[in-house]
Amino acid sequence: MAIPLYGFMEGDTVGLLILAEDGDTVQTLARKLQDAASLRVADRTEVRVVYNDKALDPVLTISQSGLKALDRFDVIWG
Amino acid sequence: MLSREEWLPLARKLDWNYSYVREDEVFPEVISGRPWLPHSEWKDWEESFKTSYREYVDNQYEKDMAVYAVRDAVGRLENVQKLAAPWMNSLKVHAAALPLAEFTGVIGNLRGARFGRDSAWRTMATFGALDEYRHTQIPLLLFHQLVRWDPQFDWAHKFYHTNNWFAVAARHFFDELTLGQNAIEFHIATNFVLETGFTNLQFVGLASLARESSDHMFERMVTSIQTDEARHAQIGHPVLEVVMKHDPEYAQYLVDKWFWRNWRLFSILTGLSIDYLTALDQRPYSFKEFMEEWIIDQFLRTLDEFGLKRPWYWDMVMDELDIYHHMIYASAYSYRATLWFNFVIPSPAERKWLRQKYPKYWDDMDAVWEQVSERWRTVGPGPANELAVHGTVLPTFCDLCQLPLSAGTPRKNTARTLVHDGRKYIFCSQPCQWIFLQEPERYANHQDLVKRVLSGEAPADLAKLLTEYFRLTPDTWGKDVHSGNYDWLGTRKDSAA
Repeated sequence: MAIPLYGFMEGDTVGLLILAEDGDTVQTLARKLQDAASLRVADRTEVRVVYNDKALDPVLTISQSGLKALDRFDVIWG
Repeated sequence: MLSREEWLPLARKLDWNYSYVREDEVFPEVISGRPWLPHSEWKDWEESFKTSYREYVDNQYEKDMAVYAVRDAVGRLENVQKLAAPWMNSLKVHAAALPLAEFTGVIGNLRGARFGRDSAWRTMATFGALDEYRHTQIPLLLFHQLVRWDPQFDWAHKFYHTNNWFAVAARHFFDELTLGQNAIEFHIATNFVLETGFTNLQFVGLASLARESSDHMFERMVTSIQTDEARHAQIGHPVLEVVMKHDPEYAQYLVDKWFWRNWRLFSILTGLSIDYLTALDQRPYSFKEFMEEWIIDQFLRTLDEFGLKRPWYWDMVMDELDIYHHMIYASAYSYRATLWFNFVIPSPAERKWLRQKYPKYWDDMDAVWEQVSERWRTVGPGPANELAVHGTVLPTFCDLCQLPLSAGTPRKNTARTLVHDGRKYIFCSQPCQWIFLQEPERYANHQDLVKRVLSGEAPADLAKLLTEYFRLTPDTWGKDVHSGNYDWLGTRKDSAA
């Protein structure tokens, strides 16, 4: 099931609506946001996904990560 | 026959004691506003213009004739066609945002004309309503001749009748400010905060830009409107004085709330025009410089005069002066097909100017423009590649101001989520969340664009969203003015020949 999330890419000028799947990994979620923001933000290989002020393990699935519909997550550099 | 000096006070100050009904039935708090006070507390209400209806009509007639004379001399289609392309798009922004917003001002003033608490207030609000009706008619008249030449000017009338995201935001603002407001809050928010605090942005700043851009018709129009605003804005001061005397905390709340709401909207309307949609050699100042000279200093002096404090979020406004409208412009450029006017990429010379004017955060903004430019270099210029240099997923919007979640900086967006009564909300900033929480019953059921899409009210497919929900067409949706064909970008098709 698609989960709508508010994604904020470091370096970007606007938050984007990202549709994640339950089984997506956190790493996939980061890729989705990077692709969606690529018009304005250059791609980076080293990024982290931050949710509730904590970096998420990239191998976790969305359902394991605790992210729920209409939550905010950030993809930050480094 | 009475002399003018004898007749005018009788006509303007015509109050009496009610014997068949109670005063609070004639002026119910829900529509007259709070604090509810007996007329004895309002009887000294006064303003300085003291105009009679006959004088008003004579003056307005002369002003209208002056506008028409300028239109006949320099406002014809052939004159407008000579304007620079970026300024033309600034014109389209204001052509859409202004006229029907002014019409909502008619409604707000008529509420004051009936439910204002003193007869002199009601008299002045009647003239205010007539003013705002004039401010609706003049731009509709002037822009109508341009519709057959450029269908984007049709949005002068169409804009507020659509569900375009910016129309949703503007309606959310004006619905609360003017259409659904009690007389006291309307006159403080509109006359004191908007017309005293922000009107210079539109009517001094824009008039100056129009002059520099050789758009003498628009300059005359906004100058003529300004003469009305200066008069009816006087209603706000004596209303605020009485509220300050009886409920200063409430007066401070109204000023805090409405300064923020005005700042959000006008920083976009005017910031984009000054810093992006005016040719570089025709910009007399930056948006920030204009705000500091004409808005900030003056507003702070006015607050002092009334014994009001600076809004609690004042430091945030000062910080946003350096970045907010830049974040919005870059976001809007990359979603330009969702709007009804066209955009330009700031050239290297413009970016150098922007860096000088906005050194605090410009490095981060410059990186965004470099990335957008690189996309045009990759795909090549031309109308066929417009959508290859365009956002693909839905941008997101604030549950209070309904504007994009573009506050903060590229490094740290200030959006914040909130669960209220079991529902999730997101706000672009702390002040927007604060306003929501002061009166949640007022805002909680309004759906922003994202929630309209998720609920199925608006289509999720971008093409359908543009055409069916925003009511744009390929002819009218926003584009790059040059279709990515810039000399400096190295994409110009005819430069290699």
